[in-house]
Amino acid sequence: MQAIEIGTAVSRAPGLAKGFLKTGELPDGRPVRIPVMIRRGAHDGPVLWLHACVHGNEYCGAFTLHELVHGLKPETLKGTVVALPALNVTAFEKNQRMSPFEGYAGGDLNRCFPGRADGSFTQQIAYAVYEQLRRHANFFIDLHTAMTPDVRWALFPNPPNEVGRAADGIARAFGFSSTLPAPSDILAGAAAMAAAQDGIPSFLAEVGGKNANYTQEAVSDAAERLRNVMRHLGMLEGEVTQYGPLTYFSNFAWVHATRGGLFQRSVRCGDTVEAGQEIGQYFNLHGDPVGAAQTPHAGVVLAIHSGPIMATGETLIHVGLDPRPA
Amino acid sequence: MRDIEVGTAHSHGPGVTKGMLQIGYLPEGYPMEIPVIILQGAQDGPVMWMHGCVHGNEYCGAYSIHQFIRALDPAELRGTVVALPVLNITGFQRQQRMSPFEGYNGGDLNRHFPGNPAGTLTDQMAHHIWQVFRKYADVHVDMHTAMTPDTRWALFAPAEGPAGVRAEAMARAFGYENMLPTPLSILGGSSLVEGAKAGIPGLIVEAGGLGPSFSMETVADVAERLRNVLRALDMLPGATQQHAPATFFSDFAWITATRGGLFKRAVQCGQRISKGEIVARFYDVFGELVEETPSPESGVVLATGAGPLMPPGEIVVHIGLNPRAA
Repeated sequence: MQAIEIGTAVSRAPGLAKGFLKTGELPDGRPVRIPVMIRRGAHDGPVLWLHACVHGNEYCGAFTLHELVHGLKPETLKGTVVALPALNVTAFEKNQRMSPFEGYAGGDLNRCFPGRADGSFTQQIAYAVYEQLRRHANFFIDLHTAMTPDVRWALFPNPPNEVGRAADGIARAFGFSSTLPAPSDILAGAAAMAAAQDGIPSFLAEVGGKNANYTQEAVSDAAERLRNVMRHLGMLEGEVTQYGPLTYFSNFAWVHATRGGLFQRSVRCGDTVEAGQEIGQYFNLHGDPVGAAQTPHAGVVLAIHSGPIMATGETLIHVGLDPRPA
Repeated sequence: MRDIEVGTAHSHGPGVTKGMLQIGYLPEGYPMEIPVIILQGAQDGPVMWMHGCVHGNEYCGAYSIHQFIRALDPAELRGTVVALPVLNITGFQRQQRMSPFEGYNGGDLNRHFPGNPAGTLTDQMAHHIWQVFRKYADVHVDMHTAMTPDTRWALFAPAEGPAGVRAEAMARAFGYENMLPTPLSILGGSSLVEGAKAGIPGLIVEAGGLGPSFSMETVADVAERLRNVLRALDMLPGATQQHAPATFFSDFAWITATRGGLFKRAVQCGQRISKGEIVARFYDVFGELVEETPSPESGVVLATGAGPLMPPGEIVVHIGLNPRAA
C-alpha cells in the first residue's frame, strides 16, 4: 500500500492515522497545527478529502467528521477518507469566523484558495492546506454552517464536464432538497471552486448554525448522508439511499444587513419568499419595534440571521434563486 | 406621583418615559450609555428596579424585559417599574460576558457593585448604575440566562427577615421550581446580594441560555411570570397565580473546567444527580474521549456548559445543594 503523508499524519496500512499539518506560526514562534485524520480502508479506492471549520466557529462540521471517521471500519472501506476537522484552528479556538491573528485584508479563509506561501496569515493557511488537498484528493467535501440550527442546504461547482457531473452525483447522494449547482464565477477563492478548477469534483454542505447553534440530530444526519455519498462513490457497500427530489437554483443571493439593532427573524430555512416579503423585525434598545427587514429577492430561504443583535454588514439572508426541480 | 430621574429619563407622573443613562465613556471619548425605561403607574406604590445584560451576552434578559414592558399599562400599575434592559452595553455589542474595554482585573460587572467612581472601567460602570439603583429600588429583579436553553432557576435574597419574606414572595410568584434562598456570604459584589445587604429584596432569574440560543417562547413565559411577581407585590390587580411547590437549596456549587477541549454535557438542567455521576465529557481535536467529569456533589443540575469548545475556567455545571421541598 502506498503511503499517504499529510504533515505528521502518515498512513501506510489500513486503519486510522492521526497527526498535525502545520499551517503557520504564532507570534511567539510556535507552530499553528491543525488535526489530520486518515482513515484507510483494507481495499483500494478513491481518496475522499473532507474538511470543516474553514470558518472557525462552524463547529457542527468538526463533530460530523469525528462521527463519520470513527464509525468507519477498514474491512468495509474501499479507499481512504482524509478528514481535517479544524482547518482555521486559531479562529476555532476563539469562536470566530476568522483568525484573531489575521491583521490585513481577507481573513475569510474560504476566499483565499489556492493560497499563497508568502501571503497574509490566512493566505498561508490556504496554501498549506491546498497543497495537500491538490496532491491527495480524488473527491472533496467542505462542511460549513450558516446561522441557525435549521440550515440545510448544499452547493457544488458545476462545470460542463465530468467534474461537474461527478459533483452532481455526490449532491444527489447527499440529498439536501435545497441544492445549488454553482455558477463558476461565484465564491472565488473557495476551496471547492479552486478544487473543481483543478479537476477534483467538489461539494459543500451547510448544516446548522455557528457556535452551539446546531443539534446532535443534525450532526448524525450529516454523517449518515456522507456515508451515503461514500456508498455512491463505491467506498462503502450497501444500497444508496434515495433522499427524494432535489430543488436546484440558478444562483443564491447574499444579502448584507444595511441597518443594525436587535433583530428577530420571522422566516425559517426552506420557506419560499416573495421579493419584498418581511423576514424579520428590528427593535431598538428600549424594545420599540423600529422597522421590518425584507428580502429583496424571491426564492427559497437558505439561511437567515439568528439575531438577537445585528451589526451592519452581517449576513441578513441567503436566498436560493429561481428554484426548479433538479 | 413622584419624580424619578435616571439619566435622561425623567418621569414626573403616570406614563412611560425612555432615556439613556451614561455609565462611562468609550476609548475614543464617546459616551457609554445604556437604555432606561420608566413606567410610572396611575397609583402610587413601590419601585421595582429590573435590569438585564449585566453580562453582555445574556440577551434573553433584555428581550424578556422588553416584552414585559410592552405589555404593561400605566393605568393598571400601582407604583413604578424602572427597567434597564442592557447594563453591559459594550459586552452586549461584542457578544461577550464582559466589556471588551476592561483591561484590568475583574470584568464581571456582577461582582463589582456598589462600584468605585475612580476604579477600573467595570468598577466605574457599577458605580454609576448603583447610584440610581440604590436611590430608587424598593424591590429588584435581575435577568440572567446561564448557558443553555433549558435553564430554569431563580435565586432570591435576603433569605430571612422582613425583606426576605418579600423576596421569597417574589420568587414564589415567579414560580420556577428550583430556587436558592441566597446566603449573603456568596455572590459578593452582585446587585442581588449587595442590594439585599442594603435591605432591597431581590430576585435573579436564570432563563434561556447564552447568545441566540433562547426561544421567544421562553421570553413570553418569563414576561408572564414577571407580571405575576407584580401581582404578588400588589403592583398589578388580580390574584397571584400559585405555582407548584418549590425545591430550595442551601447553596449552589460552581464547577469549572480544569482542562480544555471539545465539550459535551451529559446531564440536563433540572436533573437530579448523585456525587460521582458523569456530568460532562471532553474530547480532543480528533474526536477522541479524553475525560469524563464526575460530579463532586449530589443535588440538582441548575446550569450546564453549552460547548462546543470549553476553555479551562468556564462553567461545566452549577449544582443546587441539599435540595428540600419548600
